[in-house]
Amino acid sequence: MNEEFPYLKDAEEVVTVQRGPEPGGAKGAYRAFGETLRGLRTTMARLIEGPMTIQYPEEKTPVYPRFRGRHKLHRFEDTGLEKCVGCSLCAAACPADCIRVVAAENDPDDRVSPGERYAAVYEINLARCIFCGYCEVACPFDAITMGHEYELADYNRGDLIFTKEMLLAEPVERTPLRREGE
Amino acid sequence: MSAERSKVTLVVDGVEVTADDGAMLVDAAKEGDVEIPVFCYEPKLGGPVGACRMCLVEIEGIPKLQTACSTPVRDGMVVYTRTDRVIESQSAVVEFLLVNHPLDCPVCDKGGECPLQDIAMGWGPGRSRMTEPKRHFRKPMPLSPLVRIDRERCILCYRCVRFSQDVAEDEQLQLLERGASSHVGTFDDHPYIAPFHGNIIELCPVGALTAEAYRFRARPWDIEDSGSVCTLCPSQCNVMFTVRDEHVQRVLARDNDDVDAGWLCDKGRFGFQMITSEERIVEPRVGGSRAGWEAALDAVAERLRSAGERTAAIVGGQTSNEEGYLIQRLLRGALGSANITSVDELEAGLARRLAAPELGAAVPDLDAAESILVVGTDPLNSIPILDLRIRRAIRQGRARLVVASERPTALDGGAEETARYAPGDAAGFLAALAAELGNRRQAGAGTPGRAADEVPGDGSDWAEGARRIAGELRPGKTVIVYGERLGRGPGGDSALASLLECARALDLATAGAGVIGVPEGANGRGLREVGCLPGAGPGFAEAPAGRGLDRIKQGLLDGELDAVVLVHADPIRNLPDGPGWAEALRRARTVIAVSAFDDASTETADIVFPAESYAEKEGTVTHPDGRLQRLRPAVPHPGNVHPIWQVLAELGARLGHETGIGSVPEAVATIAAEVPFYAGITPEEIGGRGVRWQERPAASAVAELAAVPPEQRTSRTNLDRDDSGTLTADRLRLGTYPALWADEITDRNVALRFLAPAQTVELAPSDGERLGLASGDEVEVRSNGTGVRARVALNERMRPGAVFLIEATAAENANALPAELNVEVIKP
Amino acid sequence: MPETRVLFRDIDAPGLATIQGYRDRGGYGALKRALHELEPDELLSSLEDSGLRGRGGAGFSMGKKGSFLPRGEMEKYLCCNADESEPGAFKDRELMQKNPHQLIEGCAIASLAVGATYAFVFIRGEYWEIADILDRAVGEAYDAGYLGADILDTGVRVELIVHRGAGAYICGEETALLDALEGKRGNPRLKPPFPAIQGLYGGPTLINNVETLSNVPHIVNNGADWFKGFGSEQSTGTKVVSVSGCVQRPGNYEIELGIPSREIIYGLAGGPPKGRRVKAWFPGGSSAPVLTEADLDLPYTFEDLAKAGSMLGSGSIIVADDTISIPELALRTARFYHHESCGKCTPCREGTNWTTKMLDRVVRGEATPMDLEIIAGVQEKIIGHCLCVLGDSMAMPVGSMVAKFRDEFEATIEAAREAGHGALDHSPLDRPLTTGAQAA
Repeated sequence: MNEEFPYLKDAEEVVTVQRGPEPGGAKGAYRAFGETLRGLRTTMARLIEGPMTIQYPEEKTPVYPRFRGRHKLHRFEDTGLEKCVGCSLCAAACPADCIRVVAAENDPDDRVSPGERYAAVYEINLARCIFCGYCEVACPFDAITMGHEYELADYNRGDLIFTKEMLLAEPVERTPLRREGE
Repeated sequence: MSAERSKVTLVVDGVEVTADDGAMLVDAAKEGDVEIPVFCYEPKLGGPVGACRMCLVEIEGIPKLQTACSTPVRDGMVVYTRTDRVIESQSAVVEFLLVNHPLDCPVCDKGGECPLQDIAMGWGPGRSRMTEPKRHFRKPMPLSPLVRIDRERCILCYRCVRFSQDVAEDEQLQLLERGASSHVGTFDDHPYIAPFHGNIIELCPVGALTAEAYRFRARPWDIEDSGSVCTLCPSQCNVMFTVRDEHVQRVLARDNDDVDAGWLCDKGRFGFQMITSEERIVEPRVGGSRAGWEAALDAVAERLRSAGERTAAIVGGQTSNEEGYLIQRLLRGALGSANITSVDELEAGLARRLAAPELGAAVPDLDAAESILVVGTDPLNSIPILDLRIRRAIRQGRARLVVASERPTALDGGAEETARYAPGDAAGFLAALAAELGNRRQAGAGTPGRAADEVPGDGSDWAEGARRIAGELRPGKTVIVYGERLGRGPGGDSALASLLECARALDLATAGAGVIGVPEGANGRGLREVGCLPGAGPGFAEAPAGRGLDRIKQGLLDGELDAVVLVHADPIRNLPDGPGWAEALRRARTVIAVSAFDDASTETADIVFPAESYAEKEGTVTHPDGRLQRLRPAVPHPGNVHPIWQVLAELGARLGHETGIGSVPEAVATIAAEVPFYAGITPEEIGGRGVRWQERPAASAVAELAAVPPEQRTSRTNLDRDDSGTLTADRLRLGTYPALWADEITDRNVALRFLAPAQTVELAPSDGERLGLASGDEVEVRSNGTGVRARVALNERMRPGAVFLIEATAAENANALPAELNVEVIKP
Repeated sequence: MPETRVLFRDIDAPGLATIQGYRDRGGYGALKRALHELEPDELLSSLEDSGLRGRGGAGFSMGKKGSFLPRGEMEKYLCCNADESEPGAFKDRELMQKNPHQLIEGCAIASLAVGATYAFVFIRGEYWEIADILDRAVGEAYDAGYLGADILDTGVRVELIVHRGAGAYICGEETALLDALEGKRGNPRLKPPFPAIQGLYGGPTLINNVETLSNVPHIVNNGADWFKGFGSEQSTGTKVVSVSGCVQRPGNYEIELGIPSREIIYGLAGGPPKGRRVKAWFPGGSSAPVLTEADLDLPYTFEDLAKAGSMLGSGSIIVADDTISIPELALRTARFYHHESCGKCTPCREGTNWTTKMLDRVVRGEATPMDLEIIAGVQEKIIGHCLCVLGDSMAMPVGSMVAKFRDEFEATIEAAREAGHGALDHSPLDRPLTTGAQAA
């Protein structure tokens, strides 16, 4: 039992807070100026570094490798076939309901994807997308991943519906990646 | 209706559950919210087989685990479904099932609605220890043009094989090979062509059987389900439309044991493609060119106003009760014409008596009947689901089936007796049967072997056939399924009058017995009941006599009628004497057609209104057993299609006859107010399962229906025809029949087109031999200078002297032959 | 200990297969006695009193099974299960080949006892020669009036039909036999209803093995007490034992139940060739769990073998001596059941398939000791979960072999691993099992 705090079962639960010195005296003066100066140390140090402003859009913020930007659809590198089979699991996982997939059957003589089925229509409405990345997680074939591109503004809402061809194409703008230690 | 079953109480996983005595444990456990996983168990297919071993449970007092699907509940039973032993067995079975399952869920059509996925997630071990290669088959193979089979996915639950062998009884699907190499297939890989085979897709608990038409179309989360009723035939099966992006993608059964017992025929299942067909009429047309609704309605109103009472209307079977009611009101109320009829026209007095509530049997009565008489129809062609129902009744060992028909039926094989009368002789045969049954009744119920002495037709084989048939029928416990076609032709009225006598002699005005009439059109019964009948208004009320089909045709030919309105009707293709109708419609001053597609009749039309498809319609229809069912719109109207009821109500208003009907519920309410035996019925009461009006209190209001004097045998009879009983060797008598796949529905659905039959003439082998014809020969069937070309099919079950052609085929339609009974069959 | 010959009395006498030869030795006397002196109920109760247990595998009391059939006027059937397909069993073959009339008389009496008018002998398709002998004998019996519409002028009707199977092990399972007899695919049916209530063509049916039915005339002739004089309390009578495998004198021996198993293997069959030891033995056909040398002194009865964790089954002893590789034996056993599984129920269809593939890898040297765990686990998951006993028939012996000879399995895997993975480029089943005889 703690005498000071009888309602506490265990003295270990007591956290003692170190209070600052009372005003007045040397300690008070240190508190007024010394600590303030100490707090400004970081600010002063940055003064000599020069401005850190990034001149967007001339300059771009580098993003982390796991940054979730615009989606990309992938092809197999060897065969060039689309990885997507049109299973619609991404559409099922999407909390914003912004993916629409219409599947179709592959023609064995003119394949689009390796299996029986491929996505005839694959659309993502990026105006609705919340970039949560669930589609990427749901995909059983790693056919869809989140890219790094984040410059998606457009003049027209309709243009924000990305079709399969747009998603399969390599993005023109490359966003710089943040390097180790940056 | 079966009596209430006694209840037993048992304990499932510590929960006390009350269930029907004799219920299987799987079903009883559901009462306690305990789900026991199953694959092979499907009560629709008959008894349990216990093959999948998924449903093993522990029952106190029994050392071995038991299959819950085959263990009937007993009072005081204590069952555990989640003990370690049970969990171990469940995970073992899932692991075993997945040993050879490819797990290609992302490409599999069943993904998302797959019992194997659900059970593997819910009861499976989560991972497999199997590292061996899986078995491989060529895949996906077409099992038929409509169904594909992927044997790698198959878990061999036997459901499809059991359906083929025990339900459809076509025995085409078999399990081939044995052990781990077992697979489902047909003999020698023949395509599985059968009228009900689409059901196996729905039965399959994995993605092994997929519909060609639905392959990769949608995932369960892409679709909406919309329940309605299929109006492609009188079966009026309850269906569930799968809708994606406002298009019907698939049709599934919506089990209703009172109507369809959970099955669909392939026409109902695959006949939805026409809804989105490019060929649909989606705009009104006036004089062959597109017109707006205003212009079209004005044009029609003007023409009908000038035609006045010289207008007639023919309503086809897809018409709903509301549309039927409004069109008869348009004619009777706005135009003062009594010439309203449907393709299922009956003489008004007979129609009234046949609709008597105590005489009507319900579809489930077939299950409990002791004897079933099928007369004048082949259910497979005219009401396919009833074919399965009758088979089930026989299979369950209760009912004895007898068939009396002019043409061999698909049910003959299961019949105790069959009688075959010549085409057009139904009246004579039924008169003989009525006499025989009457005699037996007088001689005391159930005394067999008493001959009928006074049988018309000078002791022809009618009497012998009637005797055999009558010997099998159990008074008070018989259901008669008759074709309403019996009422066609000169002897029609007398045939139906005799049928009523048969029903009386058999005491069929009792519970569990009665008659079910099979109309030609899906809503034949409902249309008559809402007044689409010359001489009878809504509820068979007395109405001024009007022209029937034949007299409408005659009136148009003679110029006595000016205008004709066709609603969902194509008389040129579907009614006897097609060429006569073509001529009549050509001569008519005004033809107004309401049709979804262009056909021979719309070609003659001056004004064409686009018609809704059955998936777009709102309204009610009446099943042949009197069950009112609701049509609910599943998809929006395409193009500029408007609801037909709205068009008819609008037309009435323009002609100065305001109906006050502004919505479908209002139309239902108006009908309920006018038809005494529908009194008080509302769409809510009809609901999703339908309601038989005979079972509602309002039915007593029409007790007088049956009280119409019985002995008003009509004057029209063919009994005095010289060729009634005997058929001479050089003259063959022609009969026509509607074949299941010979209609516009087959033609308009790409998937079904391969089923459309080429014109075939059926002959008895003896006639074939006499004429030097063999099966497959090309011949011409001629009568009075008109001919129809056909291929010969010799059928040993045919009556010698009779030949049969298919009605309503796309080419060489038998309806092109004039209504003439004697024909020649010659090689061109 | 010598044989005790009841069924096998004079078995090699010339002419026993003819009706004259059978009658000369008192044949068909029991049928006459059953017809003239005994009521069906008395027949049935004497069969029950005798304690005669089914000789086909399950060992259920024949009289009790007969008493399950409902009484009354209805079409009842008797089926004789002559589909002797169990590896190691060949006793019925000799009984039918050399003394067919004993079986016919047994069928006729059993039909009287249960009131069956039609009796069927469902004989294995490969036994075409024996089926011919049986057909000839049935013809003789018909001619002599022992079978037919009016047997021995008593007005009683018993028809006997010999039906040849089409070569499926599963058709030895009683309900699959009924399906096959009805012309369907030979798949086991769900029980209940048991055949005694709803069997062939939906009628009550008594199904018994050839040897069981062959015992019937002797019980009728000599009485139940005489029969009980043989054997132990729970296993009465004599038993024809088929001994095969690594023994010097393989063949059928009729013994009194209860003699030590060592007497059969060493005494009658001569034991393994000189210098070899018994390593494992199946006491009741290939579907019985194996026993080891330590179990050789067990009395050969239903109950003692059950106590030892195995079963007497059809009474077919297969001996494996120390030259036999147990993993190969296990593979061969599993392979047989995998081939014969009908495919109706999941655990048997997939379990036999999977086990065979795994054992194949063990023998090929592509397995790890962990696979042995999986093999053992899979067997446990098959046992008791199947529709009929075929799945158990593989799981029990394979499971017992893995359990009792684990060391050898591990050594096999280790040896194969040392020799390099996949040392065998062919399936081990392509060559014959190393047997004692070949080695000698």
